[in-house]
Amino acid sequence: MRSTPPWTSRIFSTLAAMVAAYRIGLASALTAWPVLLGRAIFYGVCLMVLVAFWDKVGAQRLAGTLAVRLPPGGLGVYIGVTEWVTLSVPAIQLRLEDDIRSGALEPHLLRPKPYLAQTIAGEAGGMTARLAMLAVAGLALLAISGRPWPAGLGLVYVGVLGVIGALIGVLLYTLVGLTAFWLRRVLPALLIMQKLMFLLGGLFAPISFYPGWLHDLAAASPFAAHLAFAGQEVLTPSISDFSRALAAQAAWLVALVLAAALIWRAGLAKLMKGG
Amino acid sequence: MNPAITVKELRKAYRFPRRRRGALGALAGLFHPDIVELEAVAGVSFEIAAGERVAIIGPNGAGKSTTLKMLSGVLEPTSGDAKVLGFTPWRQRRGLAYEIGVVFGQRSQLWTELPVRDSFSLLRRVYDQDGPTFARRRDDLVERFGVGALMDQPVARLSLGQRMRCEIVAALLHGPRLLFLDEPTIGLDVTAKAAIRDFIREQSLAEGLTVALTSHDTRDIELVCERVIVINSGRIVLDQPTDQLRRRFIARKLVTLQSQSARLELDLPGVTRRPSEPHTTVLEIDTRQTRIEAVIGAALALGGIEDVTVEDPPMEEVIHEIYAALDQ
Repeated sequence: MRSTPPWTSRIFSTLAAMVAAYRIGLASALTAWPVLLGRAIFYGVCLMVLVAFWDKVGAQRLAGTLAVRLPPGGLGVYIGVTEWVTLSVPAIQLRLEDDIRSGALEPHLLRPKPYLAQTIAGEAGGMTARLAMLAVAGLALLAISGRPWPAGLGLVYVGVLGVIGALIGVLLYTLVGLTAFWLRRVLPALLIMQKLMFLLGGLFAPISFYPGWLHDLAAASPFAAHLAFAGQEVLTPSISDFSRALAAQAAWLVALVLAAALIWRAGLAKLMKGG
Repeated sequence: MNPAITVKELRKAYRFPRRRRGALGALAGLFHPDIVELEAVAGVSFEIAAGERVAIIGPNGAGKSTTLKMLSGVLEPTSGDAKVLGFTPWRQRRGLAYEIGVVFGQRSQLWTELPVRDSFSLLRRVYDQDGPTFARRRDDLVERFGVGALMDQPVARLSLGQRMRCEIVAALLHGPRLLFLDEPTIGLDVTAKAAIRDFIREQSLAEGLTVALTSHDTRDIELVCERVIVINSGRIVLDQPTDQLRRRFIARKLVTLQSQSARLELDLPGVTRRPSEPHTTVLEIDTRQTRIEAVIGAALALGGIEDVTVEDPPMEEVIHEIYAALDQ
């Protein structure tokens, strides 16, 4: 019998396995470049529709006071950022649901590395390829549209907050996927999560437009950390807002990792008792 | 005997609420659930020696997969104890994982979208293998299992037989001491089945690998395993060497003959006719009394034979015979 390695060695070997899974996820996504290209085209179509909508709101003052608060150039770039993150996040909940429901999870449990960490790392690899591809598409569209570019370091802030926001999205969808241990089908949880992302995440409109109480609620939620913080930086970039957003994202990352770990343990205990 | 697996009074019972009739019944069930207990494994005890190849068989729902799941660590027993290579599987699952290989015939352990090579490379990290040792072992297994030409193909594009060979290589890459095989030849053609059986047997003999196998295919049991444990209704009903089992229960074969004539008349000792359509003759042969080639030779001598197939009787029938013999 092999002796159990010390915990530091186990952490490093787990990280090494996660890096390997990440690299393979990235390579797989890059190999399937036509899929990436298709996603970039879909991103462009989404932006055209949504930007046309917000331009009309701005031009015709359809929304009264809301239109007055629109930034110069409208919300095209904001929508570009939130859609960039949204369309890059993998549907990890479907994979978790499939593995848990079909029993495909069992062979993975017979390996010495944690299944959930490996799965998240692999999906994050694919997400990196999508983030890069859609970033190129988004910047190209911005250049073609002739709209103003974010001031100062805005793009850098957006890049950092967007990537971390996407990671938060992976963890949120992971929580949805883990409900399969109890619900079997994750669709109800997914619908709730998506509505919350839409509303509290500020997917189509900045949360700064919301009434005070709703803004405070949204800003304190993980959904704003997922989408709104990155989008806000293209409207009003500032180092202080960026720092606060970064701190909030870090806190949510830790909280969501802990939540995922706890739910995973509970789900696994249920599976190992009930089969 | 140096046991690789020791099982003592292992028991698994599932508890679930019975659904009551009607809306009122369902509502009442919310407050006073009617809990039913189903015993999948009812206190089994056995030992498997290091290097031994053992088949755990039984009809569907007999408890054999539940037993394997408990022994591999993915299912917690209700009571009893088990040691697998010195580990208590359900408490030390990760530690045990380094020592065992698992092949589930109906579930792929490989990453279907990845080329085989990438799946193997990922497994190297998963099992903390150092580069040179891993490369040597991989190359050796790839050559022995003849999967070199498949290495750069995505797993999803492999045939079932090719995939199963890769699955077994993947299960052996980290040098396990014990291999759990759950229906490793299910869905494979005759050639692929034979290859898989040979690989498993050779690997076990070459490396002293302990094998615990479940299968509904009697040939898997005959050709791979030296001992058979029969489970039914969660209990061990028979535990004996395969040779003895073969002599007692697997000595029968089914020969199906397609002929131009509507009916073939064969009168040989130990050969009985089973009901069949015209132009099809199904013969059940007791090979202890008459050899297969003698039956086929006699049939060919009659003339007009268009097709011949030789099959084992279904496992369910073998099991049925075992129960019948045990009842007597």
